[in-house]
Amino acid sequence: MTETDTDIDPTTTTETASTDALDAALESFEDDGLDGYNYAYLDEHTKREVRRAVLKAIALPGHQVPYASRPMPLARGWGTGGIQASLSILGPEDTFKVIDQGSDESVNAANIRRLATDTAGVATTTDTTEADVVQTRHRIPEEVMTDDQILVLQVPVTDALRKVDSSDAANRRRHAHRNYGKMWVHLYENVVEWGEINIASRYPTMVAGRYLMDPSPIPRWDVPKLDHADNLFVFAAGREARIYAVPPHTEVEPLAFEDRDFQVERFPDQSCHACGSTDTYLTEVETDDGRRLYTCNDTSFCLKRRDDPELPKDHHLDRDGVDWGPGTPDIEEEAGAVAGDDGGPDADSEAGDDPDAPVAEQGGDRA
Amino acid sequence: MGYVAVKAGEELIDRAEQLFEKQRLDGDAETVSVEQIAGQLERLTAQAMSEGGLYAPRLAALAVKQSQGDTVEAAFLLRAYRSTLERWDETSPVDPAEMFATRRVSPAYKDVPGGQILGPTKDYTQRLLDFDLEAEDERDAETADPTDDWNLDEESPESLTNVMEVLREEGLVHEPEVTPGGEPADTTREPVTHPAGRDEVLQELARGDTGAVTALGYSALRGYGQVHPTLAEVRVGKLPVQIDHPYTGESVTVTDVEVTESEAVVPVYAKRDDPQFAFGYGLTFGRNERKAIAMTILDASIQLDSEDEPAENAEFVLDVVDGMDSFGFIEHLKLPHYVTFQSILDRIRGIRERKGAGGAGAEEPESDAGASGDESDEPTERDETEPAAMEAGDDD
Repeated sequence: MTETDTDIDPTTTTETASTDALDAALESFEDDGLDGYNYAYLDEHTKREVRRAVLKAIALPGHQVPYASRPMPLARGWGTGGIQASLSILGPEDTFKVIDQGSDESVNAANIRRLATDTAGVATTTDTTEADVVQTRHRIPEEVMTDDQILVLQVPVTDALRKVDSSDAANRRRHAHRNYGKMWVHLYENVVEWGEINIASRYPTMVAGRYLMDPSPIPRWDVPKLDHADNLFVFAAGREARIYAVPPHTEVEPLAFEDRDFQVERFPDQSCHACGSTDTYLTEVETDDGRRLYTCNDTSFCLKRRDDPELPKDHHLDRDGVDWGPGTPDIEEEAGAVAGDDGGPDADSEAGDDPDAPVAEQGGDRA
Repeated sequence: MGYVAVKAGEELIDRAEQLFEKQRLDGDAETVSVEQIAGQLERLTAQAMSEGGLYAPRLAALAVKQSQGDTVEAAFLLRAYRSTLERWDETSPVDPAEMFATRRVSPAYKDVPGGQILGPTKDYTQRLLDFDLEAEDERDAETADPTDDWNLDEESPESLTNVMEVLREEGLVHEPEVTPGGEPADTTREPVTHPAGRDEVLQELARGDTGAVTALGYSALRGYGQVHPTLAEVRVGKLPVQIDHPYTGESVTVTDVEVTESEAVVPVYAKRDDPQFAFGYGLTFGRNERKAIAMTILDASIQLDSEDEPAENAEFVLDVVDGMDSFGFIEHLKLPHYVTFQSILDRIRGIRERKGAGGAGAEEPESDAGASGDESDEPTERDETEPAAMEAGDDD
């Protein structure tokens, strides 16, 4: 479409017949910055399409909504879905925070933040409590998010069922029929083989008792934060061109068995070497002198804790005792044993999947 | 702590960009001009245009220069640029018979209407390094053109009857299933869902990564499939680009595009009373015969609509064939993964503890799994030595 060649002789080579329009297009590359691009990079039609997909996703919690993911100036797999969702919902008055694996200072987070400030003119922050929109790769912040905030999660793999069947066509049928038998068999075989459900991150999670959802590769530590939260969670995949959502106050239940509870990561006897926290997700750091230290993964909250080690995760709210995953009060403690009831009976009555079939034999029920 | 725990990530990015640019400018050699790339490295620009899905030779040359010759990166630049452009109009469908062919071979017949045109090719050149090129410095136009002393009679080329027409007239070709009615899909505007229509398949293949398309096409020939086609035509040439004039409404040719086109037939005996040839089609921007032919094989294979072989499974082929997707996701593994890795460590250490694996981390207090209440009630814990698929992966 940049070739606006007016020469009507089809035998003329395009190289020699370039026109002013093409030269102008080339010249535009000499400009610095992003003059000539639309506000927030994407054209208005695209932003509207993405917002429609988000609305549809909110209406069907946990359901994957296809949208025409655009090529972005970032590589696919590096947050292109998240940035399309963020740019579609950000306005010039908004404050934007980007975290990658818990850190605001990761180069990829910096790059995404730079794209948003260059094209959408938004203010940025590293403070979770000050952000209107937070885009994140694989973490939910430790500080409680509120009903006027949106968390946009970058999604590499859109379907929890991909673990048990590589075919999206087959998995779409399973979602339509709420047929999660194959996943239950997989979890059961995990328990038989390893004594516990052996899924690290991307833990399969039931949303509003209807759709099985891949919560993106957040650690299991963060999964309980999805349940009955005040904020909206938008999950956006660029490469796989799907958007899904968990609206506020939605029931989100990780799959587990009555006698094999869902378990978050364990950090026995460990605390953050910088702030001393024992109620945050820690990651290991191997030091030059061979020691192993544990450190808070959420760097922004860790900085606050260094100033005030007792700072609660809901310090910015006008109520306390808010349920926000591990290390916070569990409002539904007495209901904790119901994990697995959501889809369990369903799975037992499942005709489509043979519970005896080995999981490795994938695609057994592809049509 | 490397690439995360450092302040000023944006400055680091700028520095990295500057180092990359320095690589291009290192050394004393003249810089390569966009014109030189467009004229002398045409295969590179053709590949970038084909995989980028944008026919723009000069922009492609610029992209190749900017990416230092990485065609996937160049195609990526073109796609990202293309996605910001407005769509003014759609061109009218063009008949491939209108192609001004510079090359045309038809392996199906010894001789064909219009004749075989070998054209410019290295197919039959012995692959010996030409050390004379090393000494080639300045262009000497007088002596450089090896075709100068050819005696050509300036006949206008005849249009070439498509070999497929011959077969079609005889009723030997089973035409592919076409979804009736409607505009062709555009997968850059509508996401592909499966089962995908043939228009979507062809578009995705046409934009596919040359290496991936070639490898998957080869897999069908190599034995992972049933399609061994006979090529009816392989052509390289220029096709006119026509639109309806906005005022007069008449069809006008605005430019032309160089394409490689390939058509093949595959015998199918499914309908025993009426055996026919199935049909495969390939088209790429620019000169890229191996991609066009491989695309033809994949089109024919996918029409078999089987899941027996990788190349016959449309979902598999379309999932893996796009260079932007595969390049991006493969290279994203360079991003930090310590959150998910910590999660995996937790699982593996937990299992090793319960299984009493040797030296399960000296720093791990043995009794700690008790906190989660699942360690001791495993009387039937199996102690197999066979390694079952340990799957604590996170696939992100």
